[in-house]
Amino acid sequence: MDRRHLLKAAGAALLVPVLAEAQQAPPGSPPGPPPTAIPPGESPNAGPGRVTAFLRIGADGRVTVLTPILEMGQGTHTAHAQIVADELGVPLSAVTVEVAQPEGPFRYTPVNEQYAGASWGVRLIQPRLRRAAAQARAVLVEAAAQRLGVPAGSLTLAEGRITHAASGRSLAVGEVAEAAAALPLPEQPRLQPAAERRLVGQPVPRLDVPAKTRGAAVFGQDVRLPGMLQAVAKLSPAHGAAMAGFDAAPARAVRGVVDVVPLGTRGVAVVATDTWAALKGAEAVVIRVEAALRAAARVVDATYEVPALAHAPLETDNCTVRIQGDAAEAWAPTQHQDWVRAAVAKGAGVAPEKVRVHTTFAGGAFGRRLMVEVAEQAAMVARAVGRPVKLTWPREEEFAQGYYRPAHACRLRAALDAQGKLTGLWFRSAGQSVMGDYRPGFMARGPAILDPFALQAVTDTPYRFGAFRSEWVRTEGPAKSWLWRSVGGSQNAFFLECFLDEVAAATGQDPYALRRALLAHDPRRLRVLQTAAETSGWGTPAPAGRHRGIAFCEIYDSPVAQVAEVSVERGTLRVHRVTVAIDCGEVVNPGQVTAQMEGSVAWGLSAALHEAVTLREGRTEQRNFDAYPILRMEEAPVVETHILTTPGVPVGGVGEPGVPPVAPAVANAIFAATGKRLRSLPLLQHDLRA
Amino acid sequence: MIELVVNGEARRLDLDPDMPLLWALRDHLGLTGTKYGCGIAQCGACTVHLDGAAARACQLRLGDLAGKRITTIEGLHPAGDHKVQRAWVAQQVPQCGFCQSGQIMGAAALLAATPKPSDAEIDAAMAGHLCRCGTYQRVRAAIHAAAQG
Repeated sequence: MDRRHLLKAAGAALLVPVLAEAQQAPPGSPPGPPPTAIPPGESPNAGPGRVTAFLRIGADGRVTVLTPILEMGQGTHTAHAQIVADELGVPLSAVTVEVAQPEGPFRYTPVNEQYAGASWGVRLIQPRLRRAAAQARAVLVEAAAQRLGVPAGSLTLAEGRITHAASGRSLAVGEVAEAAAALPLPEQPRLQPAAERRLVGQPVPRLDVPAKTRGAAVFGQDVRLPGMLQAVAKLSPAHGAAMAGFDAAPARAVRGVVDVVPLGTRGVAVVATDTWAALKGAEAVVIRVEAALRAAARVVDATYEVPALAHAPLETDNCTVRIQGDAAEAWAPTQHQDWVRAAVAKGAGVAPEKVRVHTTFAGGAFGRRLMVEVAEQAAMVARAVGRPVKLTWPREEEFAQGYYRPAHACRLRAALDAQGKLTGLWFRSAGQSVMGDYRPGFMARGPAILDPFALQAVTDTPYRFGAFRSEWVRTEGPAKSWLWRSVGGSQNAFFLECFLDEVAAATGQDPYALRRALLAHDPRRLRVLQTAAETSGWGTPAPAGRHRGIAFCEIYDSPVAQVAEVSVERGTLRVHRVTVAIDCGEVVNPGQVTAQMEGSVAWGLSAALHEAVTLREGRTEQRNFDAYPILRMEEAPVVETHILTTPGVPVGGVGEPGVPPVAPAVANAIFAATGKRLRSLPLLQHDLRA
Repeated sequence: MIELVVNGEARRLDLDPDMPLLWALRDHLGLTGTKYGCGIAQCGACTVHLDGAAARACQLRLGDLAGKRITTIEGLHPAGDHKVQRAWVAQQVPQCGFCQSGQIMGAAALLAATPKPSDAEIDAAMAGHLCRCGTYQRVRAAIHAAAQG
């Protein structure tokens, strides 16, 4: 924790932002070089040529990178391959990336679990992979030196071959991999200087794209096992309400239905020979619900409001489980291998060490796939029917049973001096906790209990406001709350950045100039803001009928500024262009940074314009995309991305930091266009006619 | 018994005539490139070609398909090298990739009917294809590139 945080913490009522730091540098991970050695004992990732915990090198020279991170669409595996190919000295085409079975070296997270989150897929794994690859390079060269009877210092490793220049003799890495795996790893391997990199920093094409254009990539939904049955879930329809009973007879009458398996008090799974029969059976099952529902929270006297949001990944949640004796295997598009392992163990009634977790491609994740209820349910069903089972949540259950970004309300007040200069800011938001139910250990305990994500991008803002007080009030509600791409930043940037625009308007200042003044002490952030402003033409006339809005936010060590260009004609909003500037530190693959900025703008704009989950009688009203519209092609703006780097700043997050500025940039542009200050989302609920 | 042609191959299916083609493809023919996203024709992930035109497999009743020609992503080109697929690789369109089979089938049908589509024609043809990762800008660029190539 640096001084800035301490000072802010001292001035805040409810504020102990200790665990906000956990997203950046997980406590519990060693301060020095990270562990890369293979743990002693039987390893679930064992295989020939496993030189370090992270790398297996086959006799054929194929390099398999073992990673804790799934490929959920961000090109993370390609970045891993770039890093290893460079550091090891092999061609990119020789590298394959595989998600590891849960094991010690891959549990480098704050809580000693193997999972992906907080935009750390590259930034936290990169130092470990570099070190592992450098160690592998050293032992491969040493093994070759022993084989050739020459000093290791006389050998070079490049393009997968170890060469003795003096004699012209060379060996392929695969020829010495097994011998290298028996050698001790050097503690301080030589790391490749930046000047020698061939792949890192280049927009290398993604390794998974060809399969994804041929329908050949295997997502969780696509797993097929011999003798497998298909199951779909039918769950209690009201949040927080247990199933009191069910009538399975109408489902059993459907041709193809094999069984109806209760899932505790959550609901049932209908098991059938194919998905269609299971869906029809699920439709026929009648679930009886207990009457008592917890009341929804009601918050009054709010200035800004955002609704609950669903992740709605295009692949609905699913898991395939096979139980054999006292062991089980799961195939899952999951972000959290350790939780899947525990869930399957519980559902199947086997020991966690007896569960293997095969991580498939995920059809979107966005935080949703850290939740693993479907894995336990799939195991329960596989156990009940004695056959391998794939359990799928239909789209209707995916919406109804979602783990939502919680609705929040926020009141802000600013203190201004006689010249209109901002001298203090008070930020007070209220909403459900995202950590409180599923990660109570992550709640920071100081003078009060704080969800570390509730004030994300507020307590740790680089802005200097003068006096600054930030507070969060935890509310209760019946629906489940959880991490949603960009988490607290998703609502807090909307609150803070729109409010700063209000301050600018109230004091007759330019919104960009106001933000410049708040970042004047910080050249790196200032440059990001300035780049977005200058490349978007801020301060020059916009094309006819168009108006601009600006916003800035920083999460996961990557400051992002955006300028949205909109028009409002006869009440119809059109977002034409969004200019993005990001400084994400060292860049592994600029092509993927650009792609993530495009995707983040679409994600943020979708929520800003359209999305809202609402409850009635404890039930989610939106059950499919007809009632929960998401951004469509004709609404997608042109996104122009500018990537900045600052020497010496390590890799920052990329998957999430592009999301928070979108809603406020667009809302501020709407204000510029219409004079209407929209203080609640989604924006399209408001009448924009003059 | 329903007889139809899938990816150029005659298939006989002894299945519920009310079953949507989507589940026959995925569960019975092993053609999992066609995805389930919503089941109500809102997302486009299950798009196939029915006698050459784009159609949502979740809405096609098997009983209505006797004698019809169905093409899925696996059958779009024998080597996966259709000009739309090439453009998708060149533009690096996919992120998670789950919607992309449907996007590609939609784009291929559009280009077969309208070889040089305008932006407005692309919007109209692709409006029913949802992408949660937000690859729309690249989808548009790839369709234009395929139209050129």
